[in-house]
Amino acid sequence: MSGFLHVSPADLATVGPEIVLCLLGMALVLLDAFAKGLRPAFPYVTLGGLALANFLGGYAPGSAFAGAIEGSELTRFVDLLALAAVALATLGADALLTRHKRNQGEFYALLLWSASGLMLMVKGNDLLVVFLGLELMSIALYVLATWYRELPEAAEAGMKYFLMGALASTFFLYGIATVYGRLGSTRLTALKGSLAGGEGFSDPMLQVGLLAIVAALAFKIALVPFHSWAPDVYQGMTTPAVAFLSTAPKAAAVVVAVKVLATLAPSGLGEPWRPLLSVLAILSILFGNVVALAQRDLKRMLAYSGIAQMGYVAIGLATFDGAAFEGILVFLAGYLATNIAAFLAVAALSNGETEPHPLADLAGMGRQRPFAASVLTLAMLSLTGLPPTVGFIGKLLVFRAAIDAGLMTLALVGIFGSLVSAGYYLRVVYTLWMKEPSREVAAPEEDVLSGAAYILVAAAMLVLGVLPRPLLDLARAAIQSLPH
Amino acid sequence: MLDSSTSIQWLGADILTTLVFLPSLGALVLLFLSNEAKNAIRAVALVTSGATLAVSVAVLAKFNPAVAGLEAFRPLLVDRPWIPRFGIRYLLGVDGISLVLVVLTTLLTLCVLIFSFGQTIPKLRGYVAAFLVLETGMIGSLVALDAVLFYVFWEVMLIPMYFIIGIWGGKRRIYATMKFVLFTLAGSLLMFVAILFASGVHARTTGILSFSLLEWIPAASSGAWGLTAAQSGLLFWAFAVAFLVKVPLWPLHTWLPDAHVEAPTGGSIILAGVLLKLGTYGLLRFAIPLFPGAAARYTPLIAVLALVGVVYGAWVAAAQKDMKKLVAYSSVSHLALVVLGIFAGNVTAVSGAVMQMVGHGLTTGLLFLLVGVLYERRHTREMADYGGVASQVPVTTTLFVIAVLGSVGLPGLNGFVGEFLILAGVFKANVAWAAVAATGLILGAIYLLTLVQKVFWGPNRVKANLGLTDINGWEFAGAFPMIVLVVVLGVWPQPVLDLVRNSVETVVQIAAVRMVP
Repeated sequence: MSGFLHVSPADLATVGPEIVLCLLGMALVLLDAFAKGLRPAFPYVTLGGLALANFLGGYAPGSAFAGAIEGSELTRFVDLLALAAVALATLGADALLTRHKRNQGEFYALLLWSASGLMLMVKGNDLLVVFLGLELMSIALYVLATWYRELPEAAEAGMKYFLMGALASTFFLYGIATVYGRLGSTRLTALKGSLAGGEGFSDPMLQVGLLAIVAALAFKIALVPFHSWAPDVYQGMTTPAVAFLSTAPKAAAVVVAVKVLATLAPSGLGEPWRPLLSVLAILSILFGNVVALAQRDLKRMLAYSGIAQMGYVAIGLATFDGAAFEGILVFLAGYLATNIAAFLAVAALSNGETEPHPLADLAGMGRQRPFAASVLTLAMLSLTGLPPTVGFIGKLLVFRAAIDAGLMTLALVGIFGSLVSAGYYLRVVYTLWMKEPSREVAAPEEDVLSGAAYILVAAAMLVLGVLPRPLLDLARAAIQSLPH
Repeated sequence: MLDSSTSIQWLGADILTTLVFLPSLGALVLLFLSNEAKNAIRAVALVTSGATLAVSVAVLAKFNPAVAGLEAFRPLLVDRPWIPRFGIRYLLGVDGISLVLVVLTTLLTLCVLIFSFGQTIPKLRGYVAAFLVLETGMIGSLVALDAVLFYVFWEVMLIPMYFIIGIWGGKRRIYATMKFVLFTLAGSLLMFVAILFASGVHARTTGILSFSLLEWIPAASSGAWGLTAAQSGLLFWAFAVAFLVKVPLWPLHTWLPDAHVEAPTGGSIILAGVLLKLGTYGLLRFAIPLFPGAAARYTPLIAVLALVGVVYGAWVAAAQKDMKKLVAYSSVSHLALVVLGIFAGNVTAVSGAVMQMVGHGLTTGLLFLLVGVLYERRHTREMADYGGVASQVPVTTTLFVIAVLGSVGLPGLNGFVGEFLILAGVFKANVAWAAVAATGLILGAIYLLTLVQKVFWGPNRVKANLGLTDINGWEFAGAFPMIVLVVVLGVWPQPVLDLVRNSVETVVQIAAVRMVP
């Protein structure tokens, strides 16, 4: 551990973005305590900090902190996703929170801390660092879940998320302990290839340990059967925070799963693993989509839809080759833009953060709030995977990789799931445009920030759907930086 | 591959790209107009769809129908990388078959928009925009030669039609539009899997990562893909089902009557006039040339389904009381005949099928248009609510009679040419099929003429019809080009037949290679 005592500037530069986000979070908490008048400026300060973190993240990749942390194109990709998610959540949150006077600096601070945690988690080259990042990410989210703490739903969401998250953490720790016990190290580099046949495969304890780690990640990703927290947390948590929670942390957990599995089994997954991941994928797709069909609350529906969407990602995990990993990254990036679009629009079109979000409230909103309704429509088409949206590109890559690897059953389940999902995604669309309004809404108080968020996410969904090359190139470079 | 610099440039973009995206450009302009600015919206609609028609005619003029084989696509080919990592290209090209349908599409879209100005349509801006985006999807599907690009345009067609039926449709519009979308999507998603699988096969057997039909068709039809009979069968059906749902062939047709009855008139015209043809076009472009062996194996089954469709569609149409439902079921019957012609597999029948695709687009489009004229005034489509209105609406009646006669295949009108060629070709292939198909035509004559008789002839029994006004200027302007073509192409069908001959022969030749499993 002596490496941690001699911290070089290069070490610090590798975690530069994380440091900036953490410090900025602290500054916002202090500012909120001593200069409440500055609250309207907080979103701008947050955006500035994100821009700075992005600038610092452009630093050349490499190993730092004696190999405990490693920056690469892959971690850079996740950094970008995390920063984008915080930025969009911030843009969308300001007006909503200000309306209820809940725009304290802590909201942005918690988002920033959570983002820095998830960025650290992906950079971690040591399972313990990964765990630290995971906890920082999660604890900030537990608190965010109870942002409207006077609401019973929010309290329930926070409590449930915390208890279930703590359970997942113990799984993760148990896994680390087992790995350490069997192999004498928690460094991913030291574990490299330990699953590639030979002893690793015949060592049941190690398998159990890894299973525990994968289960903990599956919990964060909300794959069936580790999904049960998602609907309640989504429903009780304030919507802009859900926009973040449902995208960047899931993406980071997926990338960690890719990184760990690809390191431990560089030449492909062995026997119990591919069937296992396939089962997770199939269960998530079928369960998520079918249950989403029955939902009448938008946020619960999107929670189950998220479970199904992560099922498509799990198809990529089960496929387990370079093409599939690229597909996963592209899918995650598209999902991030799309899901944030969906949640921001849902927040804007509903009665307010302290009220429920029934689907019926959307009736006729296409006429009354065409801008937000169009964004939500686009998001629904992208989640369905219809071209020319980015959701199509993600599915194209993931399904193509699965079919090329001979996993036709998984592809067919995915396709079937997409068809079922059209049933509930398009229900949102027809409620918006084809139903008579059930209520009159006040003239929309369109604020500049959420307007900017809408334009950004809509552009991301359409432009990346039509011209996906930049995104594909980024994803390719990221996957090539994985240890071979 | 052909260098894209040889393609013809027009205002900086090649002519096919212009053709595909010009309508969407118009839709984009509409975004900046107020819904109240009716005249500006009309102007944009007319200019955009008129210009698109002009461009399609320019493509027609540049196209050389004398080139045979897949070479026919070459002169106007547009080939640019799109997602090079996976060999997905922005590949556009036309042959005689797609070109005829492109011109039909641009013409019908213009007619529908003109027609709609004569009707009361709420939210006109969105209505026009939906049709323009739909036009991009339709033309794109017809000119795309990369399988993924084709799939993209194919799905792009879905969304505007979903809105057209769902927003401007009748009482059960949401049910109808969801049914339409889910049926189509179920078929197309299977096709999507088949496309991905086929590209994997192509990459493994030829070493080239490509989705180009110009590379797929020679490789697949020569047996270079090395598919087993089971594989080619499954792939064939994955494509065929996507297209047969769209056609729609019995028993996949159940979405059609609902969609037609609930759709606004313009939606019905485009649905019957173009969208259904994209199903038969897909059979000719993808399912049959890629898997000729499987197509041959399953021809008897599809022929039986088509014959059931011909008779069933006609039979059910004869039992309808709702005019629109009657015309919708007549489409089921007529399109089944087209499918039969396509699978008869000789040049006569396939030429007839293409001719009938055009003919049906015009005549059925007209029938829906004219039913729409009556509905606009009386808000009912029940035949019993009319009767003897010929004296009130002489112009509408005349047009309707011409359309009906065209539809039942009266010599001298367009429908005759297609139906005759199909029957002659089918007769060569299988006498029994021809015999059954002919009965469908006879039934067709009966129910369509009965429709005319019940609605237009006889005494005027319903008082409400006394004040019925005739077709107005915009509506007539929309119908007129279609009527003219029904007559002109009936008397003088040769230009269309010349245009498609080589393309049809190419498909027939590829399909005739039946040693491939």
